[in-house]
Amino acid sequence: MVENKHVEKNQQKESLLPSTILTGFVGGLFWSLVGVIISYFNFTELSPRTFILRPWLRLEWTEGWLGNVLSIGIIGLLSIIVALIYFVLCKKIYSMWMGVIFGIILWGIVFYLLQPVFTNVPRLTELTPNTILSTISLFILYGTFIGYTISYNYHDSERQLHH
Amino acid sequence: MGFANTKHPVSAKLIENQQYLKEHLGIGLSFDVGFREIIILKKKVQLYYVTGLCDSIVFQEILKVLIQINDFESNVKKIPEIIHNRLVHQQVTEVQSMDEVVDQLLSGLIIVFIDGEKYAYVVDVRSYPGRTPQEPDTEKVIRGSRDGYTENIIQNTALTRRRLRDERLRLEMMKIGERSKTDVCISYLQDIADDGLVELIKEKLGSIEIDGITMTDKTIEEYFIENKWNNYPLVRYTERPDVAASHLLEGHVIVIVDTSPSVMILPVTFFHHLQHAEEYRQAPIVGTFIRFIRFMAVLASLYLMPFWLLLVIDPSLLPKQLSFIGPNEVGNIPIFVQIIVAGLGVEFLRMAAIHTPTPLSTSMGLIAAVLIGQIAIDVGFLSSEVILYTSVSAIGSYVTPSYELSIANKLVSFALVIVVGVFGITGFIIGVVAHLLYLIHLKSIKVPYMWPFIPFNGKAILHVIFRIPVPYTNTRPSFVHPKNVYRQPIKKS
Repeated sequence: MVENKHVEKNQQKESLLPSTILTGFVGGLFWSLVGVIISYFNFTELSPRTFILRPWLRLEWTEGWLGNVLSIGIIGLLSIIVALIYFVLCKKIYSMWMGVIFGIILWGIVFYLLQPVFTNVPRLTELTPNTILSTISLFILYGTFIGYTISYNYHDSERQLHH
Repeated sequence: MGFANTKHPVSAKLIENQQYLKEHLGIGLSFDVGFREIIILKKKVQLYYVTGLCDSIVFQEILKVLIQINDFESNVKKIPEIIHNRLVHQQVTEVQSMDEVVDQLLSGLIIVFIDGEKYAYVVDVRSYPGRTPQEPDTEKVIRGSRDGYTENIIQNTALTRRRLRDERLRLEMMKIGERSKTDVCISYLQDIADDGLVELIKEKLGSIEIDGITMTDKTIEEYFIENKWNNYPLVRYTERPDVAASHLLEGHVIVIVDTSPSVMILPVTFFHHLQHAEEYRQAPIVGTFIRFIRFMAVLASLYLMPFWLLLVIDPSLLPKQLSFIGPNEVGNIPIFVQIIVAGLGVEFLRMAAIHTPTPLSTSMGLIAAVLIGQIAIDVGFLSSEVILYTSVSAIGSYVTPSYELSIANKLVSFALVIVVGVFGITGFIIGVVAHLLYLIHLKSIKVPYMWPFIPFNGKAILHVIFRIPVPYTNTRPSFVHPKNVYRQPIKKS
């Protein structure tokens, strides 16, 4: 077989930035879609659009599917920032449990610290237990997705360097 | 096993060797170990063999040629060389120690002792009882090759080699089991598979010290995985040489164990268990369609029962459009118990189907489907919806290509039904999250089990969701850390 030029390129270290951005974006899309599904089945009284659109838009279409699609897209973009923050702070910790903790912290920030920003999200004490449990679970899975991916990719690229 | 460590050399005196073998192998007691003494140019020569493991036609041919030495040769000084020359077989080696003699003899080779020589010739005339390659029952395809691995490791390596005539394909043999001395073969492509991976696998195999591995690759798998009580399959088994060969090309390592018709692919992820050769024999778009259907079926086998039970227990969860879901008649027994009973019933049937001889299984299916199902509804024991959902979820588990995965999923489904029945929605949420986190934390030889979903890998997840046309599949999957990433040059068009 003819040796092709690409073989030599194997050893090059890929930049982790594009993969981090992609991870953030896809993670935001996927887990907010899950959020829409679980709010459809009334696991939680909140849905992604409650955060993203409703605080400043009271138009009727935001209640429909368009509102959901738009919120999923916006969360996808916001999630890139979250992924970059994780990349800067804890990429070196190669453990999925860091992602779990990250998810819980993120949940605390969104539901406690940022609650005043989202005017129509009730205060933490006013949420039903089901809502709290299912949103924490969603954030845990989201955090694991972001955190484990970033630290795995970092770990993997370090491993390649040492070879 | 005292003598295993002390090397006992082959003696120059035939009688001593005979005595040694008599002591250790029980020649005369065990009927299957035999020997034949012939005289060549006034020198005694003994041939040892194990009946049933060596090809007796080849053995007779060798015997004939050896005896003919008496007719054609006269140089008494060069008897060993002459005998070596006249052992008409391509695989003749010389061994010095009696331990090796015993090992080889019991593998089915013939041993030739010559009076006055401190070594023995070993001729590989092995011919093991076994079947010819057949299509494996568990991995059938509509089109594609119909040969499958057999219980014979030599045939299995040959089936692999026939598909990969690459000079860099390595098939390294080793023996595992102090008593069983089972042949185990590690196979990989030298310039693709990661050295660290190959080393690790060899190390793990080498550290196994057990009397025998009669349950072959499954036993070895249990040494490989860290959490011995884990229910998910962390290696993939295949009986198809084409599947094994394509995994070798991707940079996996294959472990072949003698007497097992399945080979072990390492390392693998959850999503490898959702693949099947069939989708690669169909048009890419059809293959993608097959995969989507399969994902739905597997999800149904996992989550349908607990989720439906949750909706029955707590109808307030249902959105308006779906409010019809739920049993029309509740029946006399709580739905939770009904689901458990129906699930157990399906398990009864599955186990019975494994043990039942084929002629009886038709009537068993009839009893199961018509009698039990219908009558259970008629007497008000089970509600018809429970039967419906249980059947869908059972069929979903049969759609799962990997039998091991389908059973693992079934266990989880049962556990989820129980936590939902006891704790309701709280149990469901915590159960599902715990299950997912458990899957994510699993590792198959250092590879995260849920890769490429979590940790996420964009390119690889596309290959999981879609059956991408082969001309567009330019790279090998990154999680096996292939030394050579490219499968084909990328065409610039």
